[in-house]
Amino acid sequence: MSTDAQLKASLKEAGDFKAALDEHAIVAITDTQGRITYVNDKFCAISKYSRDELLGQDHRIINSGHHPAAFIRELWTTIAHGRVWRGEIKNKAKDGTFYWVDTTIVPFLNEHGKPRQYVAIRADITERKRVEDELRASLHEVNDLKAALDEHAIVAITNPQGKITFVNDKFCAISKYSREELIGQDHRIINSGYHAATFIRELWTTIAHGRVWHGEIKNKAKDGTFYWVDTTIVPFLGEQGKPRQYVAIRADITERKRAEETIQRLNAQLEQRVAERTAQLHAANKELEAFSYSVSHDLHAPLRAVDGFSQAVLEDFGPQLPDEGRRYLQTIRFSAQRMGALIDDLLAFSRLGRKDLAKRAVDTGQLVQEILGELGSPWPDRQITVRTGELPASPGDPALLKQVWTNLLSNALKYSGKRSQAELEIGCTQTNGTTTFFVRDNGTGFDMRYADKLFGVFQRLHRVEDYEGTGVGLAIVQRIVHRHGGRVWAEAAVDRGATFYFTLGPEAKPGEPAP
Amino acid sequence: MNDPAAIELLLVEDNPQDLELALRALRKANLANHIQVARDGAEALEFIFCEGSHAARQISDRPKVILLDLKLPKVDGIEVLKRIKGDPRTSMIPVVVLTSSKEQNDVVESYRLGVNSYIVKPVNFEQFAAAVRELGLYWLLLNQPPQVTG
Repeated sequence: MSTDAQLKASLKEAGDFKAALDEHAIVAITDTQGRITYVNDKFCAISKYSRDELLGQDHRIINSGHHPAAFIRELWTTIAHGRVWRGEIKNKAKDGTFYWVDTTIVPFLNEHGKPRQYVAIRADITERKRVEDELRASLHEVNDLKAALDEHAIVAITNPQGKITFVNDKFCAISKYSREELIGQDHRIINSGYHAATFIRELWTTIAHGRVWHGEIKNKAKDGTFYWVDTTIVPFLGEQGKPRQYVAIRADITERKRAEETIQRLNAQLEQRVAERTAQLHAANKELEAFSYSVSHDLHAPLRAVDGFSQAVLEDFGPQLPDEGRRYLQTIRFSAQRMGALIDDLLAFSRLGRKDLAKRAVDTGQLVQEILGELGSPWPDRQITVRTGELPASPGDPALLKQVWTNLLSNALKYSGKRSQAELEIGCTQTNGTTTFFVRDNGTGFDMRYADKLFGVFQRLHRVEDYEGTGVGLAIVQRIVHRHGGRVWAEAAVDRGATFYFTLGPEAKPGEPAP
Repeated sequence: MNDPAAIELLLVEDNPQDLELALRALRKANLANHIQVARDGAEALEFIFCEGSHAARQISDRPKVILLDLKLPKVDGIEVLKRIKGDPRTSMIPVVVLTSSKEQNDVVESYRLGVNSYIVKPVNFEQFAAAVRELGLYWLLLNQPPQVTG
């Protein structure tokens, strides 16, 4: 073959190579000044510039600004020294979009060994770069999550055989074992022995079937102390659908458990104390009942004898006695009867403390009318005016409320007994949603200096020969009102009558007695 | 039932003063004939059921009324009442509880057991005498007991 023919053959071969290269790669040729002297179609396609726009320009036309100056300098230094440069470059297309190219720049030297021109062969790696970036981002995210998880939770990974393959720092801290002591062990190393075998079996059955287990576990640390962990175990399945490993995430709930146990213990103690107190109270009530019973029965009998035999003396021997003797016997009888009344009232008073309240709505107006009737209304032998205002129904124990009204109304009648024209006023006031009932009379009244004694047992502000009574009535009123959660008080002046007020429940605004 | 010596009233009372005053009140009301006194619950049961010292008595000779105190030695009044009202031979005898006790439990229990009347003894003798007189008059003279055989 002639030189010419050889040359032709070589040229043809070179042409074939070039055609193949143009099919495959992005090709550009640059002169020593960096000006583009050749681009192939793929270069134009990816850069979106026409060949005319590119030729004569330098590569700054597609500079993305992504790479630092040092990177570009290093590239030029390399190729200017006649060495091949290889790297990944981010370029900017004409429309402003970016693309990545895997780039090889080969300097071709002249006879003096200086670069004559540079041939750059590039491959589009934009897609690969995008995937890489995404992968990096998601890896980053995973690392962030893992770091956050490690900060927050106790983490361990176990293989299907139950051997520990990973523990984080928190696991080591709480269990007090080093990582080396834990890896390769199974969880029996921290078994507290607290849980029943069925509990552990249920856990393993759940996760071995690929289901998440959640529960609270008591573990034992290396130093023998116990700790509680709220545990979630997630099985990760392999290709055959069998668990590949188990990731256990735990939170320390030792404090919470301790608090729960304390609460449980305190509750149990409290319940026991309540039961004891109730039993004591019950016993005390029983005792008091028995006591009241004997008082009622045994104290009455001798009084009956004192009264009865005094009367027998009066009946059988009255005529033989001087007036003084008969008067003494009458005094004995009066005293015995008075003591009987005192005992009865005292027992009634003590019963109030024991009786359970049977609350319901009580028609106050009707109750007051009924009591006035029982007290002798309309009193044909006395001049009495009764003014009754609007009396709303109120919740309370009907029998006890009847006692309250009876005592207050009979007091009003009693202490106005010496008035030629007695006046009673019964009514109520409403303040801030609180109903205050009152009973007013124009009777003898009392000195407000002694008002604090009014509601004491056996306390009286009047002589028994002026106004009969045992001094228990208002004490009963107060006890009933208090048991209803209310308040009772009085206002009076000597010889100017008295007004008794009471409420039957907590007041909206506690304050001074306000009429 | 027409035997003039037959016991008309059984008075069960342990307190001697109360007993004397009750008898005095009955006497003053001319109701003191044919009264049997029992001083405790056991004695009352012996009389009613013709046992012990009363074995010769016929259970069919029923008293017209029994006045029964509740607080009694040996067997208490509630137990006596339960026995009387629980036995068909004696359940028709009117029983009046006459007691110092105002305790609601006693009142309720007595009525539950079928007492015919419940009277709280007042301290005041006139009231006491009046109560004894009235219940004596009612149960001995006015009340027509049902004719029972047995």
